[in-house]
Amino acid sequence: MKEVGTMWKYTQMIILVSLSAAIYAALLIVFKGGIPLIPGITEVRPANVFPILFGLLFGPAGAWGAAIGNTIGDLFGGTLGWGSIFGFFGNFFLGFIPYKMWGTLNLVPKDDLSPNTNTWRKFAAYVIIAFVAATACGVVIAWYLDLMGMVPFAALGIIITLNNFAAELILGPPLLLLLYPRIKRWGLLWTDIMDVDDVADGFAKEIGAILMIVGSLGGLIIGLGISTGLYGQELFQFGAGEAAKVGVWLGVLPFLLLIVAASFMLSGKELFVEEIEEF
Amino acid sequence: MDAEIYLDLDTFVHRLDPRTKIFVLLTSFVLILYFYNPLWVLPLSALILCWGWLSHTLSNLKRLRYIFTVMTISSLVMWTLFSGGDTPLFWIFEVEAVKYSIARTLVMLSLITAGMNLLSTTRNEELVIGMIKLGLPYRVGFAISTSLRLVPTIASSTQTIAQAQRSRGLDLDGGNVIERIRKYIPLLIPVFISTIRSTNTFAMALEAKGFGAREERTFYLEPKFERLDYIVMAVLAVLFAVTTYFKFAGYGMIDGLIRF
Repeated sequence: MKEVGTMWKYTQMIILVSLSAAIYAALLIVFKGGIPLIPGITEVRPANVFPILFGLLFGPAGAWGAAIGNTIGDLFGGTLGWGSIFGFFGNFFLGFIPYKMWGTLNLVPKDDLSPNTNTWRKFAAYVIIAFVAATACGVVIAWYLDLMGMVPFAALGIIITLNNFAAELILGPPLLLLLYPRIKRWGLLWTDIMDVDDVADGFAKEIGAILMIVGSLGGLIIGLGISTGLYGQELFQFGAGEAAKVGVWLGVLPFLLLIVAASFMLSGKELFVEEIEEF
Repeated sequence: MDAEIYLDLDTFVHRLDPRTKIFVLLTSFVLILYFYNPLWVLPLSALILCWGWLSHTLSNLKRLRYIFTVMTISSLVMWTLFSGGDTPLFWIFEVEAVKYSIARTLVMLSLITAGMNLLSTTRNEELVIGMIKLGLPYRVGFAISTSLRLVPTIASSTQTIAQAQRSRGLDLDGGNVIERIRKYIPLLIPVFISTIRSTNTFAMALEAKGFGAREERTFYLEPKFERLDYIVMAVLAVLFAVTTYFKFAGYGMIDGLIRF
């Protein structure tokens, strides 16, 4: 996670944090209400596609931008509250996981690690990473809000995951296809701005990627299992069952720790290669 | 890319130390989230409005009238539907749910007003210095304050782009869910590109002015606490203590309310 701190010495990265945060917050506010996914229960927010795009294109600046942007979106959107604390961390992971995992899945060819969706292998990597990031974000926020007794895990965990993933899956690939060449041409890819020595070395990166997947998906599955099985919560139902129960937060906690551990194991250095690509 | 939320006036709020104004904002956020009953939320909302009136910045809220209208309607409807209670009002609605929806709407509008009060009375540089004096690294403070300034500009340009695309025949409301989501692509790309393309110019402008030239940064502006700051902080402390007492004494709740 070294680059999360060292990126602050690059002026362009700081500007990218500001602009990413402002874009995300502005779109969250303007498109508040979104498109109903399950009418009356949840909707797709088109802006949710941006954290993964920011992460893949701007690296750590994108992760910070997503986290800060979500908090500002809460502020201007009038939804700032205790949930915003872990909303910050959840959205940070939404932008952080994509660039950390992109080069470790062995789906993206080593000779062209550009964050794009111009081949089927890259598209597959994108879909997997988008789902893992969406799930990690859902687990982090739902775990905290259930712990605080505010919203049941079974309702929120699945809703956040679906919300994020739907926007990322439908809007992400075409947007990345269109935006990547421009960002590359303008020299704004994080790998073109930052020095490789300022990025975490990581260790056992493939295992780190597996742990990240296990932590995210395992956290969601176990959390849903405990909350619905033991405490009578229901998927997509806010009023059902009991929140703030020790079983959910103890059951999900090891998976959250796995996500954190995997974050230290993954690197991102593998993306610093000469790219041969035609625009 | 000048958001121009700041209003260059000479009120006592404008002259306060930025840290005092940040504390006013944080205290507003904490206190207003204490209560569910609109009668208890209302005085706090009135105080926030009063703060805006004293600083002559309420005119800036006009910029957000569209968002205010949408949020008020959606909040009143959603919270009335998603909460319940014991006392029937009419049809499927209960008194407790309506009260709660009014409270939540007041909270939302007050939070936005409190944020706008801060941005309307504090220059970007002052806000950064305030954050740094409170312990935030300079570069982080700069990034946050710049984002805060840019949000209204980008939100406004997004609405302009949306209107332009609609006038060209883009129908955001037709089709199935996937089709409707995909229709956002012509909106998202111009917003993203028009904002991000200024990064290099922005960075060069900053570096030309010495941004990041030295590790230890000095400031032309050196805010310090004056008597008025101490008075405001004292009033804030009393307000915090009294409100917190009422919160923990169990006031401000709605009996019979079923949230979510």
